[in-house]
Amino acid sequence: MENLLGIAIGAILINNIVLTKFLGLCPFFGVSTKLKNATAMGFAVTFVMTTSSILTWLIYEYLLIPLHIEYMRIVVFILVIASFVQVMEMFIRASSPKLHRALGIYLPLITTNCAILGVALMNTTVEGYSLIAATVNGVATGAGFLLALLLMAGLRESLELADPPQAFQGLPLAFISAALLALAFQGFSGMIL
Amino acid sequence: MLQSSIRNAIRNLGATLVLTLICLVAGVLLAITYDLTKEKISEAEQAEVNQALSEIFPSAEFMEENGYYNALENGELIGYAVIVEGTGYSGKIKIAFGICLDDTIQRVRVITHSETPGLGSKVAEDEFLMQFEGKTLQELKLRKEGGEIDAVTGATISSEAVVDIVREELQRIVEGLLGG
Amino acid sequence: MKLQEFTKGIVKKNAVFALALGLCPTLAITTSVENALGMSLAVAFVLISSNFIISALKHFIPQEVRIPCFIVIIASLVTVIDLLMHGYSPTLYKHLGIFLPLIVVNCIILGRAEVFASKRSVSDTFLDAAGISVGFALAIISVSAIRELLGSGAIVIFGHKVVPALTSSPATAMILPPGAFLTIGILLALLRRAKVM
Repeated sequence: MENLLGIAIGAILINNIVLTKFLGLCPFFGVSTKLKNATAMGFAVTFVMTTSSILTWLIYEYLLIPLHIEYMRIVVFILVIASFVQVMEMFIRASSPKLHRALGIYLPLITTNCAILGVALMNTTVEGYSLIAATVNGVATGAGFLLALLLMAGLRESLELADPPQAFQGLPLAFISAALLALAFQGFSGMIL
Repeated sequence: MLQSSIRNAIRNLGATLVLTLICLVAGVLLAITYDLTKEKISEAEQAEVNQALSEIFPSAEFMEENGYYNALENGELIGYAVIVEGTGYSGKIKIAFGICLDDTIQRVRVITHSETPGLGSKVAEDEFLMQFEGKTLQELKLRKEGGEIDAVTGATISSEAVVDIVREELQRIVEGLLGG
Repeated sequence: MKLQEFTKGIVKKNAVFALALGLCPTLAITTSVENALGMSLAVAFVLISSNFIISALKHFIPQEVRIPCFIVIIASLVTVIDLLMHGYSPTLYKHLGIFLPLIVVNCIILGRAEVFASKRSVSDTFLDAAGISVGFALAIISVSAIRELLGSGAIVIFGHKVVPALTSSPATAMILPPGAFLTIGILLALLRRAKVM
């Protein structure tokens, strides 16, 4: 019996997707300059991550395995994710132009977010979770991503007011801040659930 | 109006056909590659297992039983070997170990793991695994839990995982053999 | 003139340090030089072959479905190298782990296909892809050299100790996540200071 709470806390804190597993870094550094954008991206990613975790799990279990074409998972998973994001974008554009304007540019970026494909692969081939565990993992990983993004955005908004040497301005300082965040999160690794 | 929407429909149909064609070609290419490599892949995995088994009982031949291996030297049974997979700190750990006829551990080898490099990965090294040799079921615990195994410094969870995996499998095998 | 298509990818348009693409594998895989070498080869294979094919097919692929087509081509090639590595180089396959299939969402490859391969000639595309591959390799190998030397003590490639251990108690944090971020942050700053980037 899988430890669902363990999976959840693990995904958010102990094995945080960005700070320990190194997935989802491009948006992590690209969108964390403003707290507002970070929040929007975090929630969008969590939604896509959860849904694609479920979709890819179902396709893997009921299509790829019975047909013995597990090796097609890379192609199939990424197409599922890309299609889902495309459909979601069309839906948002039609139903709420305001939301579309807010999230617009992020949606295509979500497709290439390695965290989403990463979670899909982890659920199926690496950990072999059940459907419920896969869904929990999807939600929790998204939450962990949101958490990391919020922390980073908070840091960077404060750093805007600082005056670092020119060579460090912008991305280098962001990386070093991330290093400190990662160091802090290392403290969770001893947690026994 | 009708003309342009027909033109659009044809264009979309054409685009979809191209996409489908590319998917088909890709599918065929992948099926061929899979066919060519699948034997090599299972060979590689079997080779790993064989390598570990030969390190456990160097001069033995192995006969597969129901869930474990009999280790035979010149036709005589000198012990048993087991392959078992369990959960480590980060991902699954695949372990092979040998059991002597007196139910003590012959040797332990880690076949695959994805523990933290430099820390948890040390549980795959001789310095840690050496401690398992000759231990009985009762002694197979970490020292802090009353057993005889010292954990790797800074990698308690990985160490405990390996110890638990070996102990639980040993218990299962011994009970099974004694029972049957 | 043509050679510039190749050389620009090494420094001026270095995928990691100039374009900030492909960050995920750069941080995750650079715990040892051996892993970095393996990943460089895999990325080079996918980048060069996929962009080559896309450039060759650029008049055949309709605009409306170009992204899905690119994705199918790239994902298929990633699957090919995944299968090949699993069969012929299982140790490296295990070390690269989940990051081998993740090459498919490595922004470098899709980015280059969209910006360059789908518009330029096959020969130019080949040079561009090769140059970017070399630049990427240099980037991740240098990061992993620093991390492995400081974090594991020595640099070991395929069993040969290429650089002997500096100390018997290395800074393990360097091969853990904090060390990854720190190395790249400092390297980025140094490169900017030297006005290279």
